[in-house]
Amino acid sequence: MSARSYSRWSAVGRETGRAALALLIAVIVALVIVLATSTDPLKAFSTLLTGPLSSNRTIGLWIDDVAKLTLTGLAFSLVFQARQFSMGVQGQVYMGGLFAALVAMSPVGGTMFAIPLAVLAAMLAGAAYGFLPGYAKARFGASEIVSSLMLNYIAILVVNFIVRAYLAPAGSGQLMTKDFPDTAIFPAIIPGTRFDLGIVIALLATVLVWFLLYRTAWGLKLRLVGHNPGFAEYAGIRSSVIMVSAMTAAGAIGGLLGAVFVQGRAFGNIAVDFDGNLAFEGILIAIVARSRPLAVPFVALCYGYLRQGAQLMGLRTDVPSEMIGVIQAIIILLVASSFSLPGRKTLQRWFKPRSRLPAGASAGEAR
Amino acid sequence: MIELLMTMFSATFFVTVIRTTTPLLFATLGGLISDLSGALNVALEGMMLIAALTAVIVSVYAPWYIAVLAAVLASGMLGGLMAFFHLKLKADIILVGFAVNILATGGTVFALAIATGGDKGTSINLQSKAIPAVTLPWLDAIPGIGPVLRSLLSGHSILSWLGALTVFLVWYFLYRTPWGLWLRGVGEYPAAPEAAGIPVGKVRAWSLVASGALVGLGGAQLAMFNYVGFTRDMTAGRGFIALGAVLLGARHPVGAMLAALLFGFFEALSIVMPNLFNWIPSELIQTIPFVVTILALVLFSYRAQRARQMRTLSKL
Repeated sequence: MSARSYSRWSAVGRETGRAALALLIAVIVALVIVLATSTDPLKAFSTLLTGPLSSNRTIGLWIDDVAKLTLTGLAFSLVFQARQFSMGVQGQVYMGGLFAALVAMSPVGGTMFAIPLAVLAAMLAGAAYGFLPGYAKARFGASEIVSSLMLNYIAILVVNFIVRAYLAPAGSGQLMTKDFPDTAIFPAIIPGTRFDLGIVIALLATVLVWFLLYRTAWGLKLRLVGHNPGFAEYAGIRSSVIMVSAMTAAGAIGGLLGAVFVQGRAFGNIAVDFDGNLAFEGILIAIVARSRPLAVPFVALCYGYLRQGAQLMGLRTDVPSEMIGVIQAIIILLVASSFSLPGRKTLQRWFKPRSRLPAGASAGEAR
Repeated sequence: MIELLMTMFSATFFVTVIRTTTPLLFATLGGLISDLSGALNVALEGMMLIAALTAVIVSVYAPWYIAVLAAVLASGMLGGLMAFFHLKLKADIILVGFAVNILATGGTVFALAIATGGDKGTSINLQSKAIPAVTLPWLDAIPGIGPVLRSLLSGHSILSWLGALTVFLVWYFLYRTPWGLWLRGVGEYPAAPEAAGIPVGKVRAWSLVASGALVGLGGAQLAMFNYVGFTRDMTAGRGFIALGAVLLGARHPVGAMLAALLFGFFEALSIVMPNLFNWIPSELIQTIPFVVTILALVLFSYRAQRARQMRTLSKL
């Protein structure tokens, strides 16, 4: 396809337009909900839209979220590119967090090796946990959706148990550990804020995933398996190996996110239920970014802003922050569907004789 | 161990199993219908959660059967929403399903906080109603086995009886009516029914709505019988377990019922075990249904794979 390079930027523009329109519609729905439920809708809505910029502290919270959302978005992008619906990022986050915490609380935690070793341990734990549903699918044909979701629940329960029973200070009844030694906590890049190593790790991971997907043979195979499994098989690609390795690599990113969670300046310890359902929001990030790694940080930046705004709205006004779930669902539905900017329809009417086929083809191409 | 066995063979445990199975059964049947029509419904969890909240809130103001109906309606509408986005706007069904799940996790907490005036955890300060249990005192009159029969059959929710009936109805619908044939045809090989003039999109859309409606019954049972009231994330993975049960049940209503019973049994076990073994941490007991689901899924998939291999080998 020689038109590829020519059409790339217009495709980027079109996708950005679609995402922005979806965001706009979601924000309008949010406005309606706020109007219907709040006693002071103006304050609630302005907090939602401007809250994250209100102080250095909130900007720090926002950037911290962006780092985490980028990582979970990358993990989902990797599996989505291979057309696998492995939903196990949450479980990997818990496993990664647990192992990072174990390293940070061991004697190693006091040395200068604490951060690299803890991150490595977290990535290995996450990779192992991502490997399981992949192997179950490749070897036994077990649906990765169900097995990865079950593994999420198991990981949350087991990690919560270990934290509560073994890692928390004995007899205190607390549901979190003591703070890790300073050497095991990510250093702040701008002192006094949450702007820490996490965002650097997230950006490095973005470049790495992009490189793996678009500049290595493995990535080419992975994308082929995702686009057209039948063709990939004919081309001699062992799709089961690619599938398992994609899930394992995504698992490593999930585990890395676990380390970023517990070792970041926001926590610096491991607590029960620490992820606050953030891991699942990677689905939205990956879908809006069309599973393109380089787009993930930008989507995370925009969505993270909205997410932080919703949190602040929940804290400062009478509108519960969980409203973000509604916004999220609307964005996913609109972006994942072939809903398009008005005007495209009229174009389609001009090409009426061929309108049936392109509609189906573009839905398949969108992955 | 003896105590556990004693409990497992008691009539009250049987009643517990039926109680825990009922929501799973409805969700599994719902998942089965949409799966047979060729659309894997991963939104069972979210639909059930929204149905549960709808049932609780409506039951504050209306009789229990209206609340159940409202749950069915709400969940059926979600099925319609999924059908619209999947069939009309060509979105991937799995992504649409997860959008519904996300809508449910956030939306139910939001709606709960609005309905209770700020409580994001439970609906404890709402006076919600329960689905009445069916008591069968006249069974005592049967000589000999009467009391045993009564202890086994009495005290189930109306919806549990309806669930057993639904298994039969779904079977009858799928295998004895033309629409059932259409539905299965659409799922099996859409081009053939399309050529025969069967509206493929319509069949899929209605099967998603029916799927939602059935799941809604499950949600109502959960929030109006198993527990009276709504708690945040109260479905706790049941919808996903039901999804496993759909795959496990060999895509047949009776298989779905057996799979739901299996998972219901282990859920009941995780309910009674804390009383018997207080030295086992509760978190680990709670993992039982999930571990069993994975193991059952892997075993079943492995056997199905073997069976497929044998078939292709015998053809050679």
